[in-house]
Amino acid sequence: MNRGRGQALTSRHVSSLVIDSLCDEAGEQNHTVACFYFDFAVQKEQSPASAMGALLKQVVSGLEEIPEEISQAYQKQIKGLGGRGPRLPDIVKMLQTTSSKGRTFICIDALDECVPEYRVRLLDSLNKILQNSPGTRIFVTGRPHIRPEIEKRLGGRVMSLSIGTERGDMTRYLHSKLEEDTTPDAMDSSLKAEILRKIPENVSEMYVS
Amino acid sequence: MSQSLSHNTNSFNTSYTTAISVSSNVTIADGRSNILAWLSPLDPRLRHQDIQDRRVESIGEWLLQTEEFRSWHTGSKGDGSDRPVLFCYGGPGVGKTYIG
Repeated sequence: MNRGRGQALTSRHVSSLVIDSLCDEAGEQNHTVACFYFDFAVQKEQSPASAMGALLKQVVSGLEEIPEEISQAYQKQIKGLGGRGPRLPDIVKMLQTTSSKGRTFICIDALDECVPEYRVRLLDSLNKILQNSPGTRIFVTGRPHIRPEIEKRLGGRVMSLSIGTERGDMTRYLHSKLEEDTTPDAMDSSLKAEILRKIPENVSEMYVS
Repeated sequence: MSQSLSHNTNSFNTSYTTAISVSSNVTIADGRSNILAWLSPLDPRLRHQDIQDRRVESIGEWLLQTEEFRSWHTGSKGDGSDRPVLFCYGGPGVGKTYIG
């Protein structure tokens, strides 16, 4: 069962569920969906510029043509130090432009796993996008301790919702894990029933990451 | 479930192919993927697909039905109460419980 980090019953699963549900309707509604998953294990690589750049990349790859502004910035950049990526303020400007046309959904998972200094800059960047592109909606998951920070940095634009795991979720999760058991004969049905009954009783709420 | 993410990727592939066949100029298509790679070295879609593959169906679906999610998703129109950001957090004071 151990697959290491990132096995979140709520955060990761909820984020991917939300992303898929937004993507499923994206075709009809003509909106854009971009996501980013923060992860302690690769924290250093996930700088504000590379994270915001990854969001921009997803928005742009859904467009038929690369906006002039972006290809010009790219041409300029390769003439200089070749290989140097775009700077955060430029990425923010490009995102403001590309998201101003229609509705853009940005989903960010496990924001608490972002380096705190990076998080400040990331939230400020998102705030700038919200100010300039009213069609942008942002979905964020994370641990409760970052809630005051998010609410402060994003002004009065945040609605917060607790996502303690429902008992039904717990049972479904256990069922699926028991189904995957590679040695099913080692467990009889009464043991299985006991697991399904006792674990959800004892774990009222959980948050795994 | 992954239809739209792959739809995005498909639209990318389509224009890539079109660029080659229409203009017979490979540099246009190359330009596109170079620019995308330049925007960020990271590719969260791969991560998304990985998580999606391991997701247990229907877990967390109740969230999509909540009032909070719905109003975030729809957005109210111009009455000043609209909140474009939805922050979902693990229950307050809940210890870390690791499964897996």
